[in-house]
Amino acid sequence: MGDEKLFEIYAKEQWMGNTISVGDYLFDQRIIPDFAFKVIKVIPRGEVTITEDTRIRLKGDERREIKGIRYTFSDIVGHSEVKKKCKIIIKYLRNPNTFGEWAPKNVLFYGPPGTGKTMTAKALATETDSSLYLIRATDLIGEYVGDGAKKIHELFKKASSTAPSVIFLDELDAIGLDRSYQVIRGDVSEVVNALLTELEGLHENKGVVTIAATNNPAILDYALRSRFEEEMEFKLPNPKERLEILRKYSKKLPLKLEADIREYVGKTEGFSGRDLKEKLLKAALHRAILEDSNVITQKHLEDAFKAVPPKSSPPKEMFT
Amino acid sequence: MQPVPSMGYDRAITVFSPDGRLFQVEYAREAVKRGTTSLGIRYKDGVVLCVDKRITSRLVEAKSIEKIFQIDENIGAATSGLVADARVLIDRARVEAQTNRVTYDEPIDIEILAKKMCDFKQLYTQHGGVRPFGIALLIAGVNDTPRLFETDPSGALIEYKATAIGAGRATAMEIFEDKYREDMTKDEAIELALTVMNEVTEGRMTEETIEVAVIELETKEFRKLTPEEVKKYISKVKKKEPPKGEE
Repeated sequence: MGDEKLFEIYAKEQWMGNTISVGDYLFDQRIIPDFAFKVIKVIPRGEVTITEDTRIRLKGDERREIKGIRYTFSDIVGHSEVKKKCKIIIKYLRNPNTFGEWAPKNVLFYGPPGTGKTMTAKALATETDSSLYLIRATDLIGEYVGDGAKKIHELFKKASSTAPSVIFLDELDAIGLDRSYQVIRGDVSEVVNALLTELEGLHENKGVVTIAATNNPAILDYALRSRFEEEMEFKLPNPKERLEILRKYSKKLPLKLEADIREYVGKTEGFSGRDLKEKLLKAALHRAILEDSNVITQKHLEDAFKAVPPKSSPPKEMFT
Repeated sequence: MQPVPSMGYDRAITVFSPDGRLFQVEYAREAVKRGTTSLGIRYKDGVVLCVDKRITSRLVEAKSIEKIFQIDENIGAATSGLVADARVLIDRARVEAQTNRVTYDEPIDIEILAKKMCDFKQLYTQHGGVRPFGIALLIAGVNDTPRLFETDPSGALIEYKATAIGAGRATAMEIFEDKYREDMTKDEAIELALTVMNEVTEGRMTEETIEVAVIELETKEFRKLTPEEVKKYISKVKKKEPPKGEE
Protein backbone atom coordinates (compact mmCIF):
# COMPACT_ATOMS: atom_id res chain seq x y z
CA MET A 1 0.00 0.00 0.00
CA GLY A 2 2.59 2.48 -1.05
CA ASP A 3 0.55 4.86 -3.13
CA GLU A 4 -2.11 6.74 -1.17
CA LYS A 5 -3.95 8.15 -4.17
CA LEU A 6 -4.11 4.78 -5.84
CA PHE A 7 -5.50 3.33 -2.67
CA GLU A 8 -8.15 6.02 -2.47
CA ILE A 9 -9.38 5.24 -5.97
CA TYR A 10 -9.27 1.57 -5.26
CA ALA A 11 -11.15 2.02 -1.98
CA LYS A 12 -13.85 4.24 -3.38
CA GLU A 13 -14.48 1.92 -6.25
CA GLN A 14 -15.52 -0.90 -4.03
CA TRP A 15 -16.96 0.78 -0.97
CA MET A 16 -18.86 3.70 -2.46
CA GLY A 17 -22.25 4.00 -0.85
CA ASN A 18 -21.33 2.07 2.27
CA THR A 19 -22.37 3.63 5.54
CA ILE A 20 -19.77 3.20 8.22
CA SER A 21 -18.86 4.26 11.72
CA VAL A 22 -15.80 3.87 13.92
CA GLY A 23 -14.92 0.27 14.58
CA ASP A 24 -16.47 -1.15 11.44
CA TYR A 25 -14.53 -3.35 9.09
CA LEU A 26 -14.36 -2.83 5.38
CA PHE A 27 -13.59 -6.03 3.58
CA ASP A 28 -11.39 -5.98 0.57
CA GLN A 29 -13.26 -7.63 -2.25
CA ARG A 30 -10.75 -7.33 -5.03
CA ILE A 31 -7.22 -8.34 -4.28
CA ILE A 32 -7.17 -10.09 -0.96
CA PRO A 33 -10.70 -11.25 -0.13
CA ASP A 34 -10.06 -12.07 3.53
CA PHE A 35 -8.32 -8.83 4.23
CA ALA A 36 -10.24 -6.10 6.03
CA PHE A 37 -9.59 -2.48 6.89
CA LYS A 38 -10.73 -1.17 10.23
CA VAL A 39 -12.36 2.20 10.41
CA ILE A 40 -10.38 4.17 12.97
CA LYS A 41 -11.76 7.64 12.61
CA VAL A 42 -14.57 9.30 10.68
CA ILE A 43 -15.22 12.98 10.12
CA PRO A 44 -17.84 14.13 10.90
CA ARG A 45 -18.41 11.94 13.91
CA GLY A 46 -21.06 9.28 13.89
CA GLU A 47 -22.24 7.44 10.82
CA VAL A 48 -20.94 8.47 7.47
CA THR A 49 -21.54 7.32 3.93
CA ILE A 50 -18.70 6.98 1.46
CA THR A 51 -19.34 9.22 -1.52
CA GLU A 52 -17.41 10.53 -4.46
CA ASP A 53 -16.04 13.37 -2.32
CA THR A 54 -15.00 11.30 0.68
CA ARG A 55 -11.30 11.29 1.36
CA ILE A 56 -9.93 8.00 2.49
CA ARG A 57 -6.65 7.86 4.31
CA LEU A 58 -4.82 4.74 5.22
CA LYS A 59 -3.28 4.65 8.64
CA GLY A 60 -1.23 1.55 8.22
CA ASP A 61 1.84 1.26 10.32
CA GLU A 62 4.26 -1.51 9.64
CA ARG A 63 5.81 -1.10 12.98
CA ARG A 64 4.99 -4.06 15.09
CA GLU A 65 3.86 -3.14 18.55
CA ILE A 66 5.44 -5.05 21.33
CA LYS A 67 2.50 -6.70 22.92
CA GLY A 68 2.17 -8.84 25.95
CA ILE A 69 5.06 -9.36 28.27
CA ARG A 70 7.69 -6.68 28.43
CA TYR A 71 11.19 -7.86 29.06
CA THR A 72 14.11 -6.04 30.55
CA PHE A 73 17.76 -6.99 30.59
CA SER A 74 17.45 -8.21 34.14
CA ASP A 75 15.07 -10.89 32.85
CA ILE A 76 17.76 -12.28 30.65
CA VAL A 77 19.91 -14.85 32.36
CA GLY A 78 23.53 -15.03 31.28
CA HIS A 79 24.56 -13.62 27.89
CA SER A 80 26.60 -10.90 29.59
CA GLU A 81 28.55 -10.07 26.42
CA VAL A 82 25.32 -9.54 24.52
CA LYS A 83 23.98 -7.27 27.21
CA LYS A 84 27.16 -5.22 27.07
CA LYS A 85 26.79 -4.82 23.34
CA CYS A 86 23.17 -3.79 23.75
CA LYS A 87 24.23 -1.16 26.24
CA ILE A 88 26.67 0.24 23.71
CA ILE A 89 23.89 0.34 21.16
CA ILE A 90 21.61 2.15 23.59
CA LYS A 91 24.37 4.66 24.32
CA TYR A 92 24.90 5.22 20.63
CA LEU A 93 21.22 5.71 19.97
CA ARG A 94 20.96 8.31 22.71
CA ASN A 95 23.77 10.26 21.20
CA PRO A 96 24.50 9.23 17.60
CA ASN A 97 26.99 12.01 16.95
CA THR A 98 29.67 10.98 19.44
CA PHE A 99 30.50 7.77 17.60
CA GLY A 100 30.90 9.12 14.07
CA GLU A 101 32.05 6.45 11.69
CA TRP A 102 32.79 4.11 14.57
CA ALA A 103 29.16 3.63 15.37
CA PRO A 104 27.75 0.17 16.00
CA LYS A 105 25.79 -0.73 12.90
CA ASN A 106 25.06 -4.36 12.32
CA VAL A 107 25.04 -7.13 14.87
CA LEU A 108 24.20 -10.78 14.30
CA PHE A 109 22.67 -12.92 17.02
CA TYR A 110 22.91 -16.61 16.45
CA GLY A 111 22.35 -19.75 18.43
CA PRO A 112 19.89 -22.59 18.99
CA PRO A 113 16.19 -21.77 19.22
CA GLY A 114 14.85 -20.67 22.57
CA THR A 115 18.07 -19.18 23.87
CA GLY A 116 16.79 -15.61 24.12
CA LYS A 117 17.59 -13.90 20.83
CA THR A 118 14.16 -12.40 20.31
CA MET A 119 13.78 -11.81 24.03
CA THR A 120 16.94 -9.72 24.01
CA ALA A 121 15.54 -7.65 21.16
CA LYS A 122 12.37 -7.10 23.15
CA ALA A 123 14.39 -6.11 26.18
CA LEU A 124 16.30 -3.68 24.03
CA ALA A 125 12.98 -2.23 22.95
CA THR A 126 11.94 -1.77 26.57
CA GLU A 127 15.18 -0.22 27.68
CA THR A 128 15.68 2.20 24.84
CA ASP A 129 13.43 5.06 23.91
CA SER A 130 14.32 4.94 20.24
CA SER A 131 11.97 3.38 17.73
CA LEU A 132 12.28 -0.30 17.25
CA TYR A 133 11.22 -2.22 14.18
CA LEU A 134 10.66 -5.86 14.98
CA ILE A 135 10.52 -7.49 11.59
CA ARG A 136 10.15 -11.11 10.76
CA ALA A 137 12.44 -11.72 7.85
CA THR A 138 9.71 -13.60 6.03
CA ASP A 139 7.62 -10.42 5.99
CA LEU A 140 10.19 -8.93 3.70
CA ILE A 141 9.52 -11.41 0.93
CA GLY A 142 6.92 -9.83 -1.29
CA GLU A 143 4.28 -11.23 -3.51
CA TYR A 144 5.92 -10.23 -6.74
CA VAL A 145 9.48 -10.17 -7.90
CA GLY A 146 10.90 -6.85 -6.84
CA ASP A 147 8.61 -6.47 -3.87
CA GLY A 148 11.15 -7.81 -1.41
CA ALA A 149 13.87 -5.39 -2.35
CA LYS A 150 11.43 -2.52 -2.31
CA LYS A 151 10.18 -3.47 1.12
CA ILE A 152 13.68 -3.57 2.50
CA HIS A 153 14.58 -0.18 1.08
CA GLU A 154 11.36 1.24 2.46
CA LEU A 155 12.02 -0.27 5.86
CA PHE A 156 15.46 1.28 6.09
CA LYS A 157 14.22 4.58 4.73
CA LYS A 158 11.52 4.65 7.36
CA ALA A 159 13.94 3.67 10.12
CA SER A 160 16.27 6.38 8.93
CA SER A 161 13.53 8.98 9.06
CA THR A 162 12.60 8.03 12.60
CA ALA A 163 16.24 7.75 13.71
CA PRO A 164 17.53 6.88 16.21
CA SER A 165 16.07 3.47 15.60
CA VAL A 166 16.80 -0.22 15.83
CA ILE A 167 15.77 -2.74 13.22
CA PHE A 168 15.52 -6.29 14.48
CA LEU A 169 15.37 -8.86 11.71
CA ASP A 170 14.26 -12.17 13.13
CA GLU A 171 14.96 -15.44 11.31
CA LEU A 172 17.38 -13.86 8.92
CA ASP A 173 18.23 -17.21 7.37
CA ALA A 174 14.83 -17.19 5.70
CA ILE A 175 15.97 -14.44 3.36
CA GLY A 176 19.70 -14.15 3.68
CA LEU A 177 20.41 -17.49 2.10
CA ASP A 178 23.75 -18.55 0.79
CA ARG A 179 24.36 -18.13 -2.92
CA SER A 180 24.13 -21.82 -3.62
CA TYR A 181 20.50 -21.75 -2.50
CA GLN A 182 19.73 -18.62 -4.38
CA VAL A 183 19.81 -20.74 -7.51
CA ILE A 184 16.78 -22.58 -6.16
CA ARG A 185 15.05 -19.51 -4.78
CA GLY A 186 15.65 -16.84 -7.39
CA ASP A 187 13.54 -14.29 -5.57
CA VAL A 188 15.80 -14.44 -2.55
CA SER A 189 18.83 -13.10 -4.38
CA GLU A 190 17.23 -9.70 -4.88
CA VAL A 191 16.41 -9.57 -1.18
CA VAL A 192 19.98 -10.47 -0.29
CA ASN A 193 21.32 -7.80 -2.58
CA ALA A 194 18.96 -5.21 -1.17
CA LEU A 195 20.07 -6.13 2.34
CA LEU A 196 23.69 -5.95 1.31
CA THR A 197 23.39 -2.40 0.07
CA GLU A 198 21.40 -1.29 3.08
CA LEU A 199 23.69 -2.89 5.62
CA GLU A 200 26.74 -1.59 3.87
CA GLY A 201 25.44 1.91 4.32
CA LEU A 202 25.40 2.94 0.70
CA HIS A 203 22.46 4.94 1.79
CA GLU A 204 23.54 6.70 4.88
CA ASN A 205 21.39 5.19 7.56
CA LYS A 206 22.66 7.31 10.37
CA GLY A 207 21.34 6.41 13.77
CA VAL A 208 20.04 3.08 12.55
CA VAL A 209 21.30 -0.10 14.14
CA THR A 210 20.41 -3.43 12.59
CA ILE A 211 20.30 -6.55 14.66
CA ALA A 212 19.63 -9.81 12.89
CA ALA A 213 18.94 -13.18 14.46
CA THR A 214 19.30 -16.65 13.04
CA ASN A 215 19.41 -20.23 14.18
CA ASN A 216 21.68 -21.27 11.41
CA PRO A 217 24.44 -18.81 10.56
CA ALA A 218 26.16 -21.39 8.38
CA ILE A 219 23.63 -21.06 5.59
CA LEU A 220 23.80 -17.27 5.44
CA ASP A 221 25.23 -15.58 2.42
CA TYR A 222 28.88 -14.96 3.21
CA ALA A 223 28.85 -11.40 1.92
CA LEU A 224 25.81 -10.71 4.04
CA ARG A 225 27.44 -12.29 7.05
CA SER A 226 30.57 -10.22 6.61
CA ARG A 227 28.47 -7.06 6.92
CA PHE A 228 27.92 -7.77 10.57
CA GLU A 229 30.60 -6.20 12.68
CA GLU A 230 29.94 -8.57 15.51
CA GLU A 231 28.46 -12.04 15.79
CA MET A 232 27.14 -12.90 19.20
CA GLU A 233 26.47 -16.49 20.06
CA PHE A 234 23.56 -17.45 22.26
CA LYS A 235 24.53 -20.69 23.90
CA LEU A 236 22.34 -23.17 25.68
CA PRO A 237 22.28 -22.36 29.39
CA ASN A 238 24.79 -24.04 31.67
CA PRO A 239 23.62 -25.65 34.94
CA LYS A 240 23.95 -22.44 36.92
CA GLU A 241 22.00 -20.47 34.36
CA ARG A 242 19.36 -23.18 34.19
CA LEU A 243 18.83 -22.90 37.92
CA GLU A 244 18.48 -19.15 37.65
CA ILE A 245 16.05 -19.43 34.74
CA LEU A 246 13.97 -21.99 36.62
CA ARG A 247 13.95 -19.79 39.70
CA LYS A 248 12.96 -16.72 37.72
CA TYR A 249 10.09 -18.39 35.97
CA SER A 250 8.85 -20.31 38.97
CA LYS A 251 8.38 -17.02 40.78
CA LYS A 252 6.05 -15.93 38.02
CA LEU A 253 3.94 -19.10 38.08
CA PRO A 254 0.33 -18.48 39.06
CA LEU A 255 0.39 -21.49 41.38
CA LYS A 256 2.88 -22.10 44.12
CA LEU A 257 5.63 -24.47 43.22
CA GLU A 258 6.18 -26.95 46.01
CA ALA A 259 8.99 -28.88 44.49
CA ASP A 260 12.72 -28.85 44.44
CA ILE A 261 13.73 -27.31 41.15
CA ARG A 262 17.40 -27.92 41.88
CA GLU A 263 16.81 -31.54 41.08
CA TYR A 264 16.01 -30.62 37.49
CA VAL A 265 19.12 -28.56 36.92
CA GLY A 266 21.25 -31.61 36.32
CA LYS A 267 18.58 -33.48 34.42
CA THR A 268 17.83 -30.73 31.93
CA GLU A 269 21.16 -30.73 30.14
CA GLY A 270 20.58 -29.42 26.63
CA PHE A 271 17.34 -27.62 27.46
CA SER A 272 17.07 -24.06 26.24
CA GLY A 273 15.53 -21.30 28.32
CA ARG A 274 12.32 -21.69 26.39
CA ASP A 275 12.30 -25.45 26.89
CA LEU A 276 12.57 -24.96 30.63
CA LYS A 277 9.67 -22.56 30.64
CA GLU A 278 7.38 -24.14 28.07
CA LYS A 279 8.12 -27.81 28.31
CA LEU A 280 8.83 -28.17 31.99
CA LEU A 281 7.21 -25.44 34.07
CA LYS A 282 4.23 -24.77 31.84
CA ALA A 283 3.49 -28.45 31.40
CA ALA A 284 3.72 -28.96 35.16
CA LEU A 285 1.41 -26.02 35.76
CA HIS A 286 -1.13 -27.39 33.30
CA ARG A 287 -1.03 -30.75 35.00
CA ALA A 288 -1.65 -29.09 38.34
CA ILE A 289 -4.56 -27.05 36.99
CA LEU A 290 -6.05 -30.14 35.39
CA GLU A 291 -6.08 -31.84 38.76
CA ASP A 292 -7.55 -28.74 40.43
CA SER A 293 -4.54 -28.66 42.65
CA ASN A 294 -3.56 -25.44 44.42
CA VAL A 295 0.12 -26.13 44.23
CA ILE A 296 2.47 -27.63 41.73
CA THR A 297 3.96 -30.68 43.34
CA GLN A 298 7.10 -32.64 42.66
CA LYS A 299 4.96 -35.19 40.89
CA HIS A 300 3.56 -32.68 38.42
CA LEU A 301 7.04 -31.54 37.64
CA GLU A 302 8.34 -35.06 37.30
CA ASP A 303 5.50 -36.09 34.98
CA ALA A 304 6.07 -33.00 32.86
CA PHE A 305 9.74 -33.76 32.68
CA LYS A 306 9.13 -37.34 31.65
CA ALA A 307 6.80 -36.22 28.88
CA VAL A 308 9.52 -34.14 27.25
CA PRO A 309 10.76 -36.07 24.26
CA PRO A 310 14.46 -36.75 24.66
CA LYS A 311 16.73 -34.68 22.48
CA SER A 312 18.49 -36.69 19.90
CA SER A 313 22.04 -37.03 21.00
CA PRO A 314 24.46 -39.67 19.90
CA PRO A 315 24.42 -42.78 22.05
CA LYS A 316 26.86 -42.08 24.84
CA GLU A 317 28.02 -45.66 24.90
CA MET A 318 29.67 -45.15 21.54
CA PHE A 319 32.10 -42.65 22.95
CA THR A 320 34.60 -42.79 25.73
CA MET B 1 15.04 -26.85 2.64
CA GLN B 2 17.79 -28.96 4.05
CA PRO B 3 21.21 -27.40 4.28
CA VAL B 4 23.67 -28.71 1.74
CA PRO B 5 26.70 -26.82 2.94
CA SER B 6 29.96 -26.61 1.10
CA MET B 7 28.58 -28.05 -2.13
CA GLY B 8 28.99 -31.60 -0.89
CA TYR B 9 32.67 -31.39 -0.20
CA ASP B 10 31.93 -33.02 3.10
CA ARG B 11 30.52 -36.13 1.49
CA ALA B 12 33.68 -37.78 0.25
CA ILE B 13 36.77 -37.63 2.37
CA THR B 14 39.13 -37.65 -0.56
CA VAL B 15 37.82 -34.39 -2.00
CA PHE B 16 39.24 -31.07 -0.97
CA SER B 17 36.88 -28.13 -0.59
CA PRO B 18 37.86 -25.06 -2.62
CA ASP B 19 39.55 -23.57 0.40
CA GLY B 20 41.62 -26.66 1.01
CA ARG B 21 39.71 -28.36 3.77
CA LEU B 22 38.79 -31.98 4.30
CA PHE B 23 35.47 -31.75 6.01
CA GLN B 24 35.04 -35.43 6.90
CA VAL B 25 38.35 -35.37 8.72
CA GLU B 26 37.28 -32.25 10.57
CA TYR B 27 34.04 -33.97 11.52
CA ALA B 28 36.03 -36.89 12.88
CA ARG B 29 37.71 -34.44 15.22
CA GLU B 30 34.24 -33.51 16.44
CA ALA B 31 33.69 -37.16 17.35
CA VAL B 32 36.77 -36.88 19.54
CA LYS B 33 35.15 -33.97 21.38
CA ARG B 34 32.16 -36.16 22.13
CA GLY B 35 34.39 -38.35 24.23
CA THR B 36 35.16 -37.54 27.83
CA THR B 37 38.41 -35.88 28.77
CA SER B 38 41.74 -37.67 28.70
CA LEU B 39 44.94 -35.95 29.58
CA GLY B 40 48.64 -36.56 29.77
CA ILE B 41 51.36 -34.74 31.67
CA ARG B 42 55.08 -35.22 31.31
CA TYR B 43 57.04 -34.55 34.45
CA LYS B 44 60.67 -34.73 35.49
CA ASP B 45 60.86 -38.51 35.88
CA GLY B 46 57.95 -39.91 33.94
CA VAL B 47 54.58 -39.45 32.32
CA VAL B 48 51.09 -39.46 33.80
CA LEU B 49 47.91 -40.37 31.95
CA CYS B 50 44.57 -39.54 33.51
CA VAL B 51 41.06 -40.12 32.19
CA ASP B 52 37.52 -39.34 33.18
CA LYS B 53 35.15 -42.23 32.52
CA ARG B 54 31.51 -41.64 31.87
CA ILE B 55 29.42 -43.97 34.00
CA THR B 56 25.88 -43.56 32.69
CA SER B 57 24.21 -45.83 35.19
CA ARG B 58 25.06 -47.40 38.50
CA LEU B 59 24.46 -50.76 36.86
CA VAL B 60 27.48 -50.28 34.64
CA GLU B 61 30.56 -52.19 35.66
CA ALA B 62 33.03 -49.29 35.73
CA LYS B 63 35.97 -51.55 35.00
CA SER B 64 34.55 -52.42 31.58
CA ILE B 65 34.83 -48.86 30.36
CA GLU B 66 38.33 -48.59 29.05
CA LYS B 67 40.08 -45.39 28.26
CA ILE B 68 43.64 -46.15 29.30
CA PHE B 69 45.36 -49.04 27.60
CA GLN B 70 48.74 -50.61 28.05
CA ILE B 71 50.55 -50.91 24.72
CA ASP B 72 53.84 -52.36 25.85
CA GLU B 73 55.83 -52.70 29.10
CA ASN B 74 56.82 -49.07 28.92
CA ILE B 75 54.03 -47.55 26.87
CA GLY B 76 50.43 -46.60 27.58
CA ALA B 77 47.72 -44.80 25.65
CA ALA B 78 44.66 -42.81 26.62
CA THR B 79 41.80 -42.32 24.18
CA SER B 80 38.88 -40.00 23.53
CA GLY B 81 36.23 -40.52 20.90
CA LEU B 82 34.62 -43.59 19.38
CA VAL B 83 35.26 -46.59 21.60
CA ALA B 84 35.29 -49.16 18.84
CA ASP B 85 37.75 -47.19 16.73
CA ALA B 86 39.97 -46.83 19.75
CA ARG B 87 40.18 -50.55 20.26
CA VAL B 88 41.16 -51.17 16.65
CA LEU B 89 43.96 -48.65 16.94
CA ILE B 90 45.12 -49.99 20.28
CA ASP B 91 45.31 -53.52 18.88
CA ARG B 92 47.33 -52.18 16.02
CA ALA B 93 49.67 -50.35 18.36
CA ARG B 94 50.22 -53.47 20.45
CA VAL B 95 51.09 -55.47 17.35
CA GLU B 96 53.51 -52.77 16.21
CA ALA B 97 55.19 -52.80 19.61
CA GLN B 98 55.55 -56.58 19.63
CA THR B 99 56.74 -56.66 16.02
CA ASN B 100 59.49 -54.27 16.98
CA ARG B 101 60.50 -56.45 19.91
CA VAL B 102 60.60 -59.59 17.77
CA THR B 103 62.48 -57.89 14.94
CA TYR B 104 64.99 -55.82 16.87
CA ASP B 105 64.90 -57.36 20.33
CA GLU B 106 64.24 -54.03 21.98
CA PRO B 107 61.19 -52.02 23.01
CA ILE B 108 59.82 -49.73 20.33
CA ASP B 109 60.70 -46.05 20.41
CA ILE B 110 57.66 -44.01 21.50
CA GLU B 111 58.06 -41.56 18.66
CA ILE B 112 58.31 -44.35 16.07
CA LEU B 113 55.19 -45.97 17.44
CA ALA B 114 53.28 -42.68 17.43
CA LYS B 115 54.33 -42.04 13.85
CA LYS B 116 53.28 -45.53 12.81
CA MET B 117 49.87 -44.99 14.35
CA CYS B 118 49.56 -41.70 12.53
CA ASP B 119 50.56 -43.24 9.21
CA PHE B 120 47.80 -45.76 9.76
CA LYS B 121 45.25 -43.09 10.57
CA GLN B 122 46.33 -41.03 7.59
CA LEU B 123 45.49 -43.91 5.21
CA TYR B 124 41.88 -43.49 6.25
CA THR B 125 41.80 -39.90 5.06
CA GLN B 126 43.08 -40.57 1.57
CA HIS B 127 41.31 -43.70 0.39
CA GLY B 128 37.88 -44.04 -1.12
CA GLY B 129 35.17 -45.92 0.74
CA VAL B 130 36.64 -45.59 4.19
CA ARG B 131 36.01 -43.16 6.99
CA PRO B 132 38.59 -41.63 9.31
CA PHE B 133 39.05 -42.89 12.84
CA GLY B 134 36.90 -40.87 15.22
CA ILE B 135 39.52 -41.07 17.87
CA ALA B 136 42.46 -39.17 19.27
CA LEU B 137 45.22 -40.99 21.13
CA LEU B 138 47.60 -39.81 23.79
CA ILE B 139 50.59 -42.07 23.52
CA ALA B 140 52.82 -41.88 26.56
CA GLY B 141 55.88 -43.82 27.47
CA VAL B 142 59.49 -43.87 28.54
CA ASN B 143 62.53 -44.88 26.49
CA ASP B 144 65.51 -42.88 27.68
CA THR B 145 63.31 -39.92 28.50
CA PRO B 146 59.60 -39.59 29.13
CA ARG B 147 57.63 -38.81 25.95
CA LEU B 148 54.04 -37.79 25.33
CA PHE B 149 52.41 -37.63 21.89
CA GLU B 150 48.98 -36.60 20.76
CA THR B 151 47.60 -38.03 17.53
CA ASP B 152 44.42 -36.76 15.93
CA PRO B 153 42.06 -38.31 13.33
CA SER B 154 43.89 -36.66 10.43
CA GLY B 155 47.07 -38.42 11.42
CA ALA B 156 48.67 -35.25 12.72
CA LEU B 157 51.21 -35.78 15.45
CA ILE B 158 52.41 -33.35 18.07
CA GLU B 159 54.62 -33.96 21.07
CA TYR B 160 53.47 -32.22 24.20
CA LYS B 161 54.63 -31.53 27.71
CA ALA B 162 51.03 -31.61 28.83
CA THR B 163 47.92 -32.00 26.74
CA ALA B 164 44.31 -33.09 26.80
CA ILE B 165 41.79 -34.52 24.33
CA GLY B 166 38.04 -34.89 24.46
CA ALA B 167 35.27 -32.73 25.82
CA GLY B 168 37.27 -30.81 28.39
CA ARG B 169 40.27 -30.01 26.21
CA ALA B 170 39.86 -26.24 26.19
CA THR B 171 39.50 -25.99 29.96
CA ALA B 172 42.39 -28.36 30.52
CA MET B 173 44.75 -26.53 28.21
CA GLU B 174 43.97 -23.27 29.92
CA ILE B 175 44.90 -24.72 33.29
CA PHE B 176 48.04 -26.34 31.88
CA GLU B 177 49.18 -23.06 30.35
CA ASP B 178 48.88 -21.53 33.74
CA LYS B 179 50.14 -24.21 36.09
CA TYR B 180 52.42 -26.60 34.23
CA ARG B 181 56.06 -26.74 35.25
CA GLU B 182 58.67 -29.06 33.79
CA ASP B 183 60.29 -29.86 37.12
CA MET B 184 57.17 -31.31 38.73
CA THR B 185 57.35 -34.47 40.79
CA LYS B 186 55.09 -37.45 40.21
CA ASP B 187 52.74 -36.40 42.99
CA GLU B 188 52.56 -32.86 41.70
CA ALA B 189 51.81 -34.07 38.18
CA ILE B 190 49.01 -36.34 39.37
CA GLU B 191 47.60 -33.56 41.49
CA LEU B 192 47.66 -31.19 38.52
CA ALA B 193 45.88 -33.83 36.43
CA LEU B 194 43.20 -34.23 39.06
CA THR B 195 42.85 -30.48 39.49
CA VAL B 196 41.99 -30.33 35.81
CA MET B 197 39.61 -33.28 36.12
CA ASN B 198 37.94 -31.63 39.08
CA GLU B 199 37.33 -28.59 36.92
CA VAL B 200 36.04 -30.40 33.82
CA THR B 201 33.78 -32.76 35.76
CA GLU B 202 32.57 -29.85 37.88
CA GLY B 203 33.65 -31.58 41.03
CA ARG B 204 32.00 -34.91 40.23
CA MET B 205 35.04 -37.13 40.28
CA THR B 206 35.45 -40.28 42.28
CA GLU B 207 37.94 -43.12 42.29
CA GLU B 208 35.39 -45.04 40.20
CA THR B 209 35.25 -42.54 37.37
CA ILE B 210 38.87 -41.44 37.33
CA GLU B 211 41.66 -43.61 36.16
CA VAL B 212 45.34 -42.76 36.43
CA ALA B 213 48.34 -44.49 34.93
CA VAL B 214 52.01 -43.68 35.39
CA ILE B 215 55.12 -44.67 33.52
CA GLU B 216 58.19 -43.82 35.57
CA LEU B 217 61.65 -43.28 34.17
CA GLU B 218 63.19 -45.37 36.93
CA THR B 219 61.17 -48.54 36.41
CA LYS B 220 60.19 -47.94 32.77
CA GLU B 221 57.01 -49.76 33.54
CA PHE B 222 53.44 -48.89 32.81
CA ARG B 223 51.33 -49.03 35.97
CA LYS B 224 47.69 -48.19 36.60
CA LEU B 225 47.06 -46.73 40.03
CA THR B 226 44.71 -48.71 42.25
CA PRO B 227 41.38 -47.10 43.17
CA GLU B 228 42.69 -46.65 46.73
CA GLU B 229 45.68 -44.67 45.51
CA VAL B 230 43.48 -42.57 43.22
CA LYS B 231 41.12 -41.92 46.09
CA LYS B 232 43.93 -40.55 48.19
CA TYR B 233 45.00 -38.13 45.49
CA ILE B 234 41.41 -37.09 44.83
CA SER B 235 40.69 -36.22 48.43
CA LYS B 236 43.95 -34.29 48.60
CA VAL B 237 43.01 -32.23 45.52
CA LYS B 238 39.45 -31.71 46.68
CA LYS B 239 40.65 -30.50 50.05
CA LYS B 240 42.90 -27.98 48.37
CA GLU B 241 40.16 -26.75 46.07
CA PRO B 242 36.80 -27.08 47.71
CA PRO B 243 34.02 -27.49 45.15
CA LYS B 244 32.54 -24.20 44.13
CA GLY B 245 29.18 -24.03 45.84
CA GLU B 246 26.21 -22.16 44.46
CA GLU B 247 25.84 -18.66 45.64
